[in-house]
Amino acid sequence: MDTEGRAKAFEEFAGAAGAIMNPAVAAWKAQGGRVVGYFCSHVPTEVLTAAGLLPFRMRGTGSTGTELADAFFSNINCSFVRNTFNLALQGDYDFLDGLVCVSSCDHVRRVYDNWKRNLGTPFLRIISLPKKVEDAQVGWYRDEVAILREAVEKHFEVTISDERLREAIRLHNRTRRLQRELYELRKKEAPPLTGAETLAVMVAGTAMPRQHYNEALEALLERLRGANGQRDYRARLMIVGGELDDPRYLEVIEEQGGLVVTDAVCFGSKAMWNLVDEEASDPSEALARYYIQGQPSCPRMHGDQPRRAAFLMDMVRDFRVDGVVGERMMFCDLWCVEHYMNDLDLKEAGVPFIRLDREYNASAKGQLRTRIQAFLETMGK
Amino acid sequence: MIVGGCDVGSTTGKAVVLNETAVLSHYIVPSTTKPEQTARIAMEEAVRMAGLSSVDELAYIVGTGYGRLKVSFAHDNVSEITCHARGAHWLNPAVRTVVDIGGQDCKVMSLDERGKVLEFVMNDRCAAGTGRFFEAMARVLGCGLDGISSLANQGATPATISSQCSVFAESEVVTLINEGVDVADIIAGINHAVAKRLCSMVRRVGLAEELTLTGGCSKNDGLARALEQKLGVSVRTLPQDPQIAGAVGAALIASEKVRA
Repeated sequence: MDTEGRAKAFEEFAGAAGAIMNPAVAAWKAQGGRVVGYFCSHVPTEVLTAAGLLPFRMRGTGSTGTELADAFFSNINCSFVRNTFNLALQGDYDFLDGLVCVSSCDHVRRVYDNWKRNLGTPFLRIISLPKKVEDAQVGWYRDEVAILREAVEKHFEVTISDERLREAIRLHNRTRRLQRELYELRKKEAPPLTGAETLAVMVAGTAMPRQHYNEALEALLERLRGANGQRDYRARLMIVGGELDDPRYLEVIEEQGGLVVTDAVCFGSKAMWNLVDEEASDPSEALARYYIQGQPSCPRMHGDQPRRAAFLMDMVRDFRVDGVVGERMMFCDLWCVEHYMNDLDLKEAGVPFIRLDREYNASAKGQLRTRIQAFLETMGK
Repeated sequence: MIVGGCDVGSTTGKAVVLNETAVLSHYIVPSTTKPEQTARIAMEEAVRMAGLSSVDELAYIVGTGYGRLKVSFAHDNVSEITCHARGAHWLNPAVRTVVDIGGQDCKVMSLDERGKVLEFVMNDRCAAGTGRFFEAMARVLGCGLDGISSLANQGATPATISSQCSVFAESEVVTLINEGVDVADIIAGINHAVAKRLCSMVRRVGLAEELTLTGGCSKNDGLARALEQKLGVSVRTLPQDPQIAGAVGAALIASEKVRA
């Protein structure tokens, strides 16, 4: 694929990832479609899809400051919620017909509180997410899924039958399978796409009508299967962390020669690595099981670190990763000790690891550049 | 074969001319707002001091430091982390831990026996523990940077400065001044506060002897003594100006590139 063809193939995804509003969502709205925002990887978005709604994952993309939002947060809240709430306060999220928050972390909980008091979004819910991942918690979360399902039915005046929910699960699984196939291409010696390009595709998947996205992704895969790949990289890197939605962050890393070949971040592999059971007699239970036990583990979950470490090691092996970059947003409490453990585990396995603190906006390019360059140098690359 | 290393930092530009075995010359200039210009002034002067007529006579030049991408005459660029480690290790092969304190950042590197970086930590997010911090304190205390270095060891009872933030630390210092605390004790307190921060960075990469300081702030004797006290090891001094360690490292890498 030549440069122009390449830019064209990624154009729609890059556009959707690089802004909040995009043409596909605008068209959806123009046709009378309704959009419900959601925070975090634990919201059972299939429930929204089954209700005919478009789930839209919340981001702070395009935010240039937090001066409106700062008044509503303390000085230990992360810059992700500040920037995202700032966009909401300046009207960028006025197109939302609803918002679903989840008690994934205290920062997002505070967004819910502030949203409730300051913004008039007609449908506003918060889901209670358990802290452990055993069967008892699956039962708890099944109740939460059912409560959300009922609330959506009531507010949006729709019926979500089990069959409609199963259909939504199949549609979301289709996305997951396609995205997984995209990642499989990156296992190659010469991956046909960069980490930044992949992240844009993944972020776009949370910001576009799903049917349309799946078709666009199929077309992209078709082009990439036979495409030439990147060979001129210095090292194959994996990025591990949380709410990373900015492809430009990975671009800075890749400009130094560190090709990001896989990840364990919220918008990346964590959103699609495993599938929801499509055949389960109770689809609400199937969703609860997936979001508690099925998808790759989040550091928020207690006692589940061994599963996260195993996932990390599998990724390192399967994608032939030379080094791991651990990113953490400043003031993120969920990730504060996780990277310390990753450091020990990876050291034991002889895999180079670097920890990076960052702000939501990828503005400190020079600092990132120096660290990545030095990291590659220490790896002898 | 003669090569060059050019380290364009936030506060000063450093250039070194090196032959196979020794530093032939080095030159340090205050950084201008144009990194390209800073680099050229430093390199041209170092070249002149080495008795060469032009930068073109250098077989290879490596740029490093914040301005490394702007050194137009450099053949390659390498991060200052790798360069400081390499330079310090060449100047003293027993070195296993390098604490580099520059104008706007500080970093700690652990090295193997060949001078290769095993691990590093870096603070460039805030001014605490950098040259900027000492400059701000010297201004408040009216003692100049030399005073920060020399007066510290006269402070018998270092004042407590608890803030890690240079802005808040400055407020603390102003409070101490107004409480009539002896200036030497305040300066000792400042150096102890920075040493504490560096100490925790050293513990992150793991302390291994010998330890040395590089960068402009390594000339602060009060800081070196405070660090020794906190870490319980002695700080080894280098046989050359520690401020040029990064440029020396860059030149060493340049000479490896030529040989390769």
